[in-house]
Amino acid sequence: MDALGPRFERFLAAVEPAREGRVIACEAITGGYSRISARARVRWRDGVEETFILRGDPPPGSGVFTSDRDAERELLQSLTTATSVSTPKVRWYDGSGEYLGSKAIVMDCAPAGSLQDEMARAQDIGPLTDLFIDTFTAVHATPLARLPARMPHPPDWLTYLDGVLANYDRIAGEHPGSAPVLGYVTWWARTHMPPPVPLGLVHGDCNPTNVLVGPAGPPLVIDWEFARIGDPREDLGYYTQSPVEPNVYWADPERFLDRYRAATGLTAEQVNPQTVDYFLIIGMAALLEQLLTAAAAIGAPERPGILAPYLINAISHQHDMFLAICDRLS
Amino acid sequence: MITRPTTDTLIEDCCRELTEVILPGLTDETLRLRLVMTETVLRNAAVRAAHEIAWMLAETSALVAYAAAVAARHGSEPLRAAMAAVEASPAVSLHLGDVVDRYERAGQAFSEALAAAQEAGAADLVAQARELLRDRIAIEKQVMATYTIVGR
Repeated sequence: MDALGPRFERFLAAVEPAREGRVIACEAITGGYSRISARARVRWRDGVEETFILRGDPPPGSGVFTSDRDAERELLQSLTTATSVSTPKVRWYDGSGEYLGSKAIVMDCAPAGSLQDEMARAQDIGPLTDLFIDTFTAVHATPLARLPARMPHPPDWLTYLDGVLANYDRIAGEHPGSAPVLGYVTWWARTHMPPPVPLGLVHGDCNPTNVLVGPAGPPLVIDWEFARIGDPREDLGYYTQSPVEPNVYWADPERFLDRYRAATGLTAEQVNPQTVDYFLIIGMAALLEQLLTAAAAIGAPERPGILAPYLINAISHQHDMFLAICDRLS
Repeated sequence: MITRPTTDTLIEDCCRELTEVILPGLTDETLRLRLVMTETVLRNAAVRAAHEIAWMLAETSALVAYAAAVAARHGSEPLRAAMAAVEASPAVSLHLGDVVDRYERAGQAFSEALAAAQEAGAADLVAQARELLRDRIAIEKQVMATYTIVGR
């Protein structure tokens, strides 16, 4: 048990004083580039045991990706009634970090594994591909009015897209190393806008590692920190660049998009390989800015850690992808 | 100064030490992951150490030439100012900080030139800019060296 275990036990004493919970195991969950996660097993006074996931912020000034834990917790709570998609049940929240060292959400640990792992083992990935598509179709269909008021609600599609492209202009102005590429790509994106679709809930890290499947019950969608209201095709574009094999989009793009179109009612003009490519550029804006910001902080007294220089490669990779998309779609 | 082994060779030797000697002795998964990332960063740095000044000087010349070509046809005040900023930087210094400074100023002039070409609808100049960006990306990919995503 690492140092988090005793802290979690003190937290449980504060939020569930009558149950006298004892942390009998606590281990970090490796993987992921943003939050610090741990799995903790707790035995209550009555002998009942439960397992929880603790999802907290890295120490201030460290790490590359930033997101708002208050907002994620609020979103998770709203999603329980807003959508047909299953999401982790939030049990408690250390909103100040007083007990757990940083703001941390404590959730039930589902007896489930990642859909990505299931896909890797499957002889036939077709049914799991359909499950993945249908799960994110349901995410995208979430009624926007039921989402938290603090989440930005763009008034319409064009305003949203203009806003993302204006952000790219700003990012280019703040990061001279990327400005030439971003200047070209942003101009291109303004002159090649695809047909609009209704705005929807975008997960922001759409890939099968964020879908948990168990022996029973619906799939559980996790890691909502980058969720936003936007163009749902951003999730499709984002997934196309996932390097984790198997990537079920690239296994059969037309089949993938046929399924998505059938489930959403969107047309072939709205959803096709070209529009998916386009929205990879749009969907990466926030993450690219965080990568650039972290790279700029290297060498500062509060260093962002080894992930920042390591992910300079990801910036180069995005430059390459973006320009290739401009070439393909021009 | 001692010039051999060169900087890139020294860094690559450190990489071998990390992967062949230190990594096998680490059992903590998080530390192993950090070490792999560190080794990747060092490999990137080795490539840069060997070539970055030459690469930046060559690209600076190309960017400035492009900006001048655009200015001759579609001059704008921001473009003129950006080009003047390039000229104001020390062109003869090969110290890394000076080379980076001039390279960034050239990049700013290029961006202004590209914007002017785009606004003017000069397809030939926009295409020329795309070629320059293609060259830039080719170099960035060389720097990426053996990068593959780990830890996700």
